[in-house]
This record gives sequence, C-alpha cells and structure tokens, in this order.
Amino acid sequence: MSFGNLCAQIDRCAYTNALAKSSPATKVFFALSALILSVSSPSPLVPIIVFLTTTTLLLRFAKIPAHFYSSLLVYPTIIVAISCFIIALFFGYGEPLTEIVLPWFRWTVFKSGVMMGVTTFFRVEGALSCLYFLVLTTSMGDIFIILRRAHIPKILIEMSLLIYRYMFVFMEVAAQMYTAQKLRLGHSSWQKRIRSTALLAGNLFIRTLEQGERTFIAMNARGYDGNIRNLDDLPRPRRVSLMGIVFFDVILVFVTLSTINLW
Amino acid sequence: MHIMEGFLPHPWWEIWYVISMGIVAYGVYRLSRVTKKLPEAKPLLALMGAFIFVLSALKLPSVTGSCSHPTGSGLAAVIFGPAIASVLSMIALLFQALLLAHGGLTTLGANTFSMGIVGPVVAYLIWVVCRKARLPTSAGIFLAATLGDLFTYVTTSAQLALVFPTAAGFFDAFLKFGAIFAITQIPLAIGEGILAIFLFDFLAKYKGQLLAAIKVISLPITAHEQEGKE
Repeated sequence: MSFGNLCAQIDRCAYTNALAKSSPATKVFFALSALILSVSSPSPLVPIIVFLTTTTLLLRFAKIPAHFYSSLLVYPTIIVAISCFIIALFFGYGEPLTEIVLPWFRWTVFKSGVMMGVTTFFRVEGALSCLYFLVLTTSMGDIFIILRRAHIPKILIEMSLLIYRYMFVFMEVAAQMYTAQKLRLGHSSWQKRIRSTALLAGNLFIRTLEQGERTFIAMNARGYDGNIRNLDDLPRPRRVSLMGIVFFDVILVFVTLSTINLW
Repeated sequence: MHIMEGFLPHPWWEIWYVISMGIVAYGVYRLSRVTKKLPEAKPLLALMGAFIFVLSALKLPSVTGSCSHPTGSGLAAVIFGPAIASVLSMIALLFQALLLAHGGLTTLGANTFSMGIVGPVVAYLIWVVCRKARLPTSAGIFLAATLGDLFTYVTTSAQLALVFPTAAGFFDAFLKFGAIFAITQIPLAIGEGILAIFLFDFLAKYKGQLLAAIKVISLPITAHEQEGKE
C-alpha cells in the first residue's frame, strides 16, 4: 500500500527532523499564520514569498532531504497545474483575453479566467508548503498536546488518538495479509487479483476490529477511564522566534495591502 | 473529493468552516453521550473513522483541483447516525491533511461539509426510507452508501462552481465540474455500495448486540436471532 508507506515516511520525518525538538507551539503558529495569510491574499505575490520562506526553512533548518520534499510536492503540483490550466481555459467571464480559432471551432479565453487560474496555482503552492512545514516538522503526539491545551473537547481528542492508532493497525494488518497472499500465489493473475483484493478487504475489517477490541480490553484492565494522558513537557516557545514570526506576518499583511489594487 | 489546500479563496473557506463546525459540534455532543453510555462502542467508532480514512485515501486524481475516491462515510452514518459520522469524517480528513497532505487545513471545512455532512445525511435519509419501504437490508445499505457517495461529489461540484463561475453562471460551472467527476465517481460509488453491503452484513452478525444497544438503528431481526444462537 503506497499511501501507508508515505504516511510512515512523513511520520518518521516529523520525529527525526532537525526542528523536531523545538517548540511545537511556535511551529504551529508559524505554519497556520502563513497558511491563512497566503490563502487570504488576492494576489500571487504573498503565496510566492510564503512558499520560498517555508521551503528554505524546511531544507536549511529542518534538514528535510530535498529529494523527499520535492517528491512530495511533484504530484500535487502536476494535478493543480492541470486543474488551473483548465480553469484558465474554460472558466471566467467578462473581458475576453484571446480567442482560439481552429477550423472546426472557436473558443474564447477570458482574462478573469486566466487570472483565476494563475492566482489559484500559486495560492495552492504557497498553502501546500505551509501544510508540509507543519506536517514534516511537528509530530502527531505534539499536535495532540497542543490540541489539548487549546481546550478541544476531550472525547474528540480521545477519538482522534484511537483513530490514529487504528489507521496504523489497518495498514500493518493489510501489509501482513498482502504478503501472506503473495506467498500463496494470490494476486498472480488478473482474476486472482480481484479475488485476493476482495478477501483482503473483507478480512481486514474483521482483523482490525478484533485487534482493536483486544487493545481496548487491555486498556480497560489497566484502569482506562476515557483519558489518554501524555506527558506534557514540550519545550517553551522562544521569544526571539515568536517576534520573528510576527514580524514576517506583518510584512505579509503589508504586501497584501499594497498589492490589493495592482492585481 | 478532497479540495486541495489553498484551492478555495478568502471568503469561501471561512464560510464552509462556520457551517460545518456548527454541525460537528452537535456531533461531538452526540458522540460524548453515546460513549458515556456505551464505552465498548469506542473501538467500533474508531474503526469506522480509520475505515473512512483508508477508503478516502484510495484516490484517483481528477482534474478539478480535487480527486475521486470512495468515502465510507455513508456506512458510518447508517450505523452511528449522521451527526457522529460527521465527527468521524472530520477527524479522518484532518489526519489525511496532516499525514498525507491530502486535502488541507483551510479546506477542511468545505471537505467536512461535503463528505461528513451532506453524504451521511443523504445516506441516512435513504436508509430510513428504505427501512420504511421494507426493502431488503442489503438494498437499503447499497443505495445509502452509493447515493451518499454521489451526493458528496454533487456538493463538491457546487462548492467549486461557487468559487470558479463561468460566463454562463453558477449552474454551467456546476455541470462542468459534475461531468468531470462523474467519469470516475459513478463506478467507484457502485463499488463502495457493494463493499458496504458486505461490511454491514459482517457487523450485524458479529456485533449485532452492540449495534442494537447503540439504538441508532433498529437491526433486522435475523441479526438478533443469530446473536442469540451463538
């Protein structure tokens, strides 16, 4: 399962990168503020600045391997480029920009459509880089602690923790069953692949539920009362970095306001 | 149907957040009541959440700034009711954003609305109607899961069309987005319906008592009988 592999790789990065030990509150603050500013900006300039900054931070300071980061970016970039190309061609209204005239048809491309496509492309790239910054530098465990500090309802955090665990159980069980099937000549022809996949999907559910219930019984036996307590000893945010982020955000707001009429 | 991070511009993502979070808050209330009464439902709840995560991560790209995949939230809605399904979908979507960079944090509201609210509500209503009409359970589950999935995509098309209108207006854009999705989504929705029949059948046999205790649904009598015999 390729996405399971991807999940595990991203998870590993979040625990081992060079910024893993710095304050998660700072990282969350930086990623979310840059994300919101680049999504709110009507022009492509702010997302471009955000993209360059977060990419530099990721590669230089978090020491994420460049080939891993680019492999993460390639797939969404291709999809969003095609999507934005289609938006530029087919959507929009008002002032026509150009007309494509072919022998059998003519097609009007609108200026607003092209602007929409270009802006959307850069907005997505800027926002994606912020999302990757958060994902690649901050582990889920830290995010859960931050959520608890933000007074998110307890049941929601508990369910999230359980679902997080079950996702990995799902993938582990699926990988085991897939290997077992391969060893017994499953997936060896087109018809067998369909049969094997159906068997895997059905049994996956049963096996995961059984395993989950055993875990639940084990937790109950150890006095589980609905609270999963993590040790909350996160590093405190440094004032310098917080000031830096605020300064960066102010610059972004200023750029947004000064380009609002240009675009 | 995960709309990509950043694909929705300024006023829209906030609007969808406000709409979705109100409904999710009600779902959290329902969830805390169910789990307080029946703590043993927690593994099944978490399993449904993980199931939504896995199913909706099996994606085919679609050229609409989004993608095509089964949702799994229809089955969750039939078992736990649409309010709880919305919470589970939101958690699954959050993890997909954080672990796979699939979907996004700013588009979480819009994605929750389509996959976690409209899909489950439609699925649940169809399930209730099928029960009232005394259709066989498997037909009810199939219709609920398939149509819940399709309505999720109808919602996503509408969300995208509101942001990217064409010269002919909202409805034209809506049809364009819908047509692009339909190519990949109709077979996927039917596949999801068939999968849902098998899974529900299994759950009714294996967890009949728990499902009846949750009382979100009244189970077919056969499931109780089988439970009794075992």
